[in-house]
Amino acid sequence: MAVASKTDVKSKPQVKEDIWIPTSCGQCYCMCGVKVRRQDGIITELEGNPDAPTGRGHICAKGLASPQLMYDPYRVNYPLKRTNPEKGLHVDPKWERISWEEALETIVKKLKECQERDPRGAYFQATTTQASEIRFGVIGFMKGFGTPNYWVSGGGLHCGNGAHFMNGIMHVSWSIIPDFAHCNYALNFGCSKGHGAGHVAVQNATQVADARARGFKNVVFDPFQSAQASKAHEWVPIRVGTDGALALGLVNSLLNEHGIYDAEYLMYKTNSPYLIRPSDGRYMRDKETNNPLVWDLVDNCPKVHNDPSVTRVEYEDEAHEAALTGKYTVEGVECTPAFELLKEHVKKYTPEYVEKITWVPAATISRIAKEFGEAAEIGSTVTIQTSKGPKKVPRRPVATHFFRGAQGHTNSGWTCLSIDMVNHMVGAADTYGSALGLGGSVGQGYEPTGKPYQIPYPCPDGLLVAKTWVYDHKPYPMRKPGPPTRLDLHDMFPTSIYNAFTITSPRWFEMLERFKIPYKPDVMLNFGSNSVMTMGNSEAVTENFLKKFNFIFSFQLYITEFEEAVADIVLPDACFLERYTPAVSFPSTFSHPQGEDDWGWTIRQPVIKPLYERRDFNEVMLDICERLGIHGKFYKGLNDSIGVRYGGEMSDKYKLVEDGSVKHTWEDITDRLLKDRFGDEHGLEHVRKTGVFTWPKKKEDVYWKWFNPSRVPVYFEYFIDSGEQIDKLWNEYGGKDFFDFDWTRFKALADWYPCPTHTEENPEFDMHTFYWRAVMHCNSMTQQNPWLDECSQEDPNVYAVQMHVATAKEKGIADGDKIWMENPQGHRVRGWVSLSEGIEPHHLAIAAVAGHWGKYMPIAKGKGTFFNDLVEMDLEHTDPLTFNQDICARVKIYKVED
Amino acid sequence: MPRYGMVIDLKRCFGCYACSMACKTVNHTPPGVFWARVLMGEVGTFPNAVRQALPMLCMQCEEPSCLEVCPTGATQKRDDGIVIVDKDKCMGCKYCIMACPYGARYSVDKWESYFPDGLPLSPLEEFQKKAWEEKSGVGVATKCDFCIDRLAEGKLPSCVEACPAKARIFGDLDDPDSEVSVLIKKERGQVLNPEFGNKPKVYYLFPR
Repeated sequence: MAVASKTDVKSKPQVKEDIWIPTSCGQCYCMCGVKVRRQDGIITELEGNPDAPTGRGHICAKGLASPQLMYDPYRVNYPLKRTNPEKGLHVDPKWERISWEEALETIVKKLKECQERDPRGAYFQATTTQASEIRFGVIGFMKGFGTPNYWVSGGGLHCGNGAHFMNGIMHVSWSIIPDFAHCNYALNFGCSKGHGAGHVAVQNATQVADARARGFKNVVFDPFQSAQASKAHEWVPIRVGTDGALALGLVNSLLNEHGIYDAEYLMYKTNSPYLIRPSDGRYMRDKETNNPLVWDLVDNCPKVHNDPSVTRVEYEDEAHEAALTGKYTVEGVECTPAFELLKEHVKKYTPEYVEKITWVPAATISRIAKEFGEAAEIGSTVTIQTSKGPKKVPRRPVATHFFRGAQGHTNSGWTCLSIDMVNHMVGAADTYGSALGLGGSVGQGYEPTGKPYQIPYPCPDGLLVAKTWVYDHKPYPMRKPGPPTRLDLHDMFPTSIYNAFTITSPRWFEMLERFKIPYKPDVMLNFGSNSVMTMGNSEAVTENFLKKFNFIFSFQLYITEFEEAVADIVLPDACFLERYTPAVSFPSTFSHPQGEDDWGWTIRQPVIKPLYERRDFNEVMLDICERLGIHGKFYKGLNDSIGVRYGGEMSDKYKLVEDGSVKHTWEDITDRLLKDRFGDEHGLEHVRKTGVFTWPKKKEDVYWKWFNPSRVPVYFEYFIDSGEQIDKLWNEYGGKDFFDFDWTRFKALADWYPCPTHTEENPEFDMHTFYWRAVMHCNSMTQQNPWLDECSQEDPNVYAVQMHVATAKEKGIADGDKIWMENPQGHRVRGWVSLSEGIEPHHLAIAAVAGHWGKYMPIAKGKGTFFNDLVEMDLEHTDPLTFNQDICARVKIYKVED
Repeated sequence: MPRYGMVIDLKRCFGCYACSMACKTVNHTPPGVFWARVLMGEVGTFPNAVRQALPMLCMQCEEPSCLEVCPTGATQKRDDGIVIVDKDKCMGCKYCIMACPYGARYSVDKWESYFPDGLPLSPLEEFQKKAWEEKSGVGVATKCDFCIDRLAEGKLPSCVEACPAKARIFGDLDDPDSEVSVLIKKERGQVLNPEFGNKPKVYYLFPR
C-alpha cells in the first residue's frame, strides 16, 4: 500500500524564495483568479488576483484552503493497481504500487482492445470541479478515439440539466443572475448565488453585498434558513420541489390579478404575438416563406414575424404594434396570439391553489407578485454609452433567479422555465437592472481579433440561437431525436444533457440490445469524479452501472469510494496548482462575472512542479493518445472544439497540427490559443505575468436584449414536435417495455408537476428531506481538506441534519441525537440532529456531499450525511423533459440504536 | 501615528468563513485555534427565525483586560493601539486567556498535525509549525494582531483582504475621514458588550 508512507512526506525546499504566482483556483468550478505564494518551494498561501475580473482580489475559504490539497499526506502520489479482482462497495482493492510505465502500458493495451472491439465502448467520466480541463483532455480524447460516451459528475443530480438547458434557450447562458449593480428587487428560488456557493461565487458575493447596502431587496423562497435566506429582505418558507407552482402563481397573479406585463417587450422580443392555430397548437405560418405570422394591429393583417414593420431590434426603432390578445382569422382559420394562450393557461394557478401546493400563503403570493411587478417600473428607460454612442434601453430593476434547489426535481424543466417566465412577463431579461445571462455569454470579442465572438442570432422562426456554447449541441434549435448510438440512449432525447436512469437500470444491457446498440460498456476513463457518491444511490450506481465495465482507470487526487469500489488502476493526478490550462474563465459558464466589469481570459500555470510521481491529467492524456497513435486526431478534436466553445475557429497560423507530426505541449497549446484570440504579442509570456488577459466589455453586450434581433419563446411550440418525435421513436423500439414515459410533458405551455415526494401517501413517511450546499464545500473532494473540515465543525449545520424544534419535540428527538432517515424504497442514511427554528417544520435539511466512508480520506470519513443514497435511480424520480433527478425525498425517521 | 480599528458590517457578512481561513493560512494557526472565528447562531422563532454569523477576533481594546492581568509585561499595546504578545516575555500563565471577555486568546502546548495516524508533518505543516513557533510560540498566549507583518508591508489584515462580501473594513480611527470612522459615525457602529468597559476597537454594524 503506497498511498502515504512515512518516508513520502519530507520537506524539500528548492530555493530561498518568496514569490507570488498568478493562476486560477481549482477548488470549485467558479475557478477564480488567484495569486499563490511560494516560499522556499512550498505553497503556503493564496490570495485573490485583483487583475482578474474573476474574483477581483477576493477568494473564498475553499480557495484559501488549497495549500492543504497540495500537501495532504493522503493524496495519491504513485500509480496503483488493484490486485483484488472482486469489485463492489466496501471491498478492499488490495492496492499495489506500480510504475507509470506499467500503468500506461496496461491502459493502452486495454484501450487498443476496446478500439478493436468498438471505440464507443470507451466511456469518459469527469468532475465539474475541473471543468476547464474537461474541455481539453476529455474532449480531445473522445473526438480522437471516437467515442460519444461521457458523463460529468453530478450531471442530472446536482448539476443543472434543467437550468442550463432552459437558460440556454432563454438567455444563451448557462445560468441566470440579477444585474446586482442595478437590480432593486429579486426573487431567489432556493439558490445560493451571491451567498458564497454556486456560480461566480466571489464576485456575486461582493455584488450582492453592495446591492444590499444600497437597498436591494431579495425575497428568498427556501425551506430553511440558508445563507441567502438569512440575508434576505424577506424569507418565505416553501415546500421543497414546488417552486415551479409558485412561479406560475406569480405569472398568473401578474397577468390576471394585477394586469402587469411589459407589452412592448412581449411584442418585439418574444414569440408572444405569434399566431397559434387551434387544431394542433402550432404556429400559423406564411405560405411563401414558412415563417410564423403575427397580427399587425395597424395594417390589420397578418405579417411574418420578421417583417420590418412589426420588428424592433433597438429600443428606439419604430414599428407597428402586433396583437398579444384576441382572435384573428388567417386563411379561414381563427388563430390566437401565443400570449393570450399563456394568459388563459396560467389562470388555474390562483393564489389559493398555489398555496395548497407550496404552503406559501395566498396573500403572500399575490403581494409579492404586485411588489415585483411594481418594482419592474415597466416603461422606464435608461441611456447607456454603447460603442455606437448613447442608446436608450429599458430599465427593469427586477429579477428572479434559481439553481439546483428549484431545479433538482422531477418537474425540473418546466420549473426552470416558469421561474424565468416571471422575468419575461415584465421585460426583465438581459437589459439594465434585470435578470442577466450568468457568465457574460454575449460579446463581440477583443476588438483587434474579433474573438471570442459570442453574438447570438435568430433562427428562421425568429428565436434566439447561441453562437458559442459549451457543448457541441446547442440548447436551441433542438436536435432531432435519432436512433441511439450512445450507451445512455442520449441521441433520442434532445432536451437532456445527461441521464442516469438508463445506465443505472438493472435492465441496462437488455435495453442496449433492444435499442440496437452494437457495443457494450468497455473501458471507463475517470477524471476526478467520485460517482459512487455523486450520482445517486450508491448500490444501484455500483452494481448496475460501474461494475459493467471491463476495465476502469482513474485520475485522482485521493482514493475515493469510487476507486475503492471499481477502479483497476489509479493514476496520481496533479492538482490545479501543478498544471497548465489554456482557458479557464471561458467558455462563459460558471466562472465569468456578469455585469459591466472587463472581460478576462484566465489561464492556469503551474505554481510548483508536480510532487512525487504526480502527473498532470492533460499531459497523460496526450501521452496515452500518442501511444495509441491518435494524437493528431486529438489535436483535430481540440481545434474543432475550440471553434464551438471558445468563440471562433483557430486561424491556420495557430491551429494545432492535425497530422500527428508535431507533439504540442500544454504550454504550447496555451500559447497558441492566447495568440490566436488576442494577437501575437499576447501569448503565454505576456499573460503568465498576471494570469489573465483583459479587455473592456461593451455595454451593448452586457445589456444585449435591445440590440439583438432575436426573440425568446413564451410558447414552446417546438416542444410539441419533439415530444411526438421521441414518442414515435421510443415506441418503434418497444421502449415502453422498459419505461413508460409521459411524453405529454413535451408541450407548449408551462405546468407544475408533483414529485414522488408530494404524492407519497404512506403517513409513516412524514418528513420532506432535501440537500443544500455548504459554502465551504464543493462536490465531495473538499470534505477531505482539514482546514475546511475544521471550519465546517464551527458551523452547527454543516455536518448535521437540521430539524425544527417542535418537530423534534413531537418525535421525542433531542439535539445531537443520531437518526436514520429511510425512504419508501427502503434506502436509509444516518445523521445527527441539530435543532433549529430556521426550518419549515416538515423538512429535514442536509448539507451535501458528505458521509464519506473510504479509509483513504480520513478527514472526510464519517462526517455528515450521505444524502445521495436516498436518490432513487429510476424514471419515477426523473424529470421526463430534462432527465434531471429528484433530490428531495420523503422519509420516515427513527433513532439509531447502537 | 494611526489608531487602528476595524468595522465588521453584519449586513454584508453572510458567514462564508473566508476570514477564518485566510487567518489560518497567513498566521499558521494550529488545530483548534481561530484568531478570526465566526460564531454561527440563530435568533427568533419560525418563520421569523434568522441565522446570524458573528465574526470574532481580538477587539484590540483601548483598555485591555489581558494587559492588566499580565504579570510579565508580555502583553503590550503598541503606539498604533494594536495589542500584541511578546512571546519571549510570556511565561504561559494563561491569566490573560481567563481575563479576555471576548475569548480572543489561545494557547497550545504543541503544534499538532491535522492528520490522523501519526504521520510525519507534511512540508506545509513543517513550514507552518516553524513559522508559528518563531512568531507566536507554543506554551504561550497568542492572539490576532491585525496582521502586523502585513501592515508593515502596506497590506491589509488577511481577513479584510479575503472577505468576498467586503464586510470587513480596516483603518485609522483617529482619521475622521477614514472609511472606518465614517461608517462608525454614519451607521452607528457598536462594540460588543460595551458594559465590559474594555473600549474595543472592533465595531459592528448591525442589521436594522
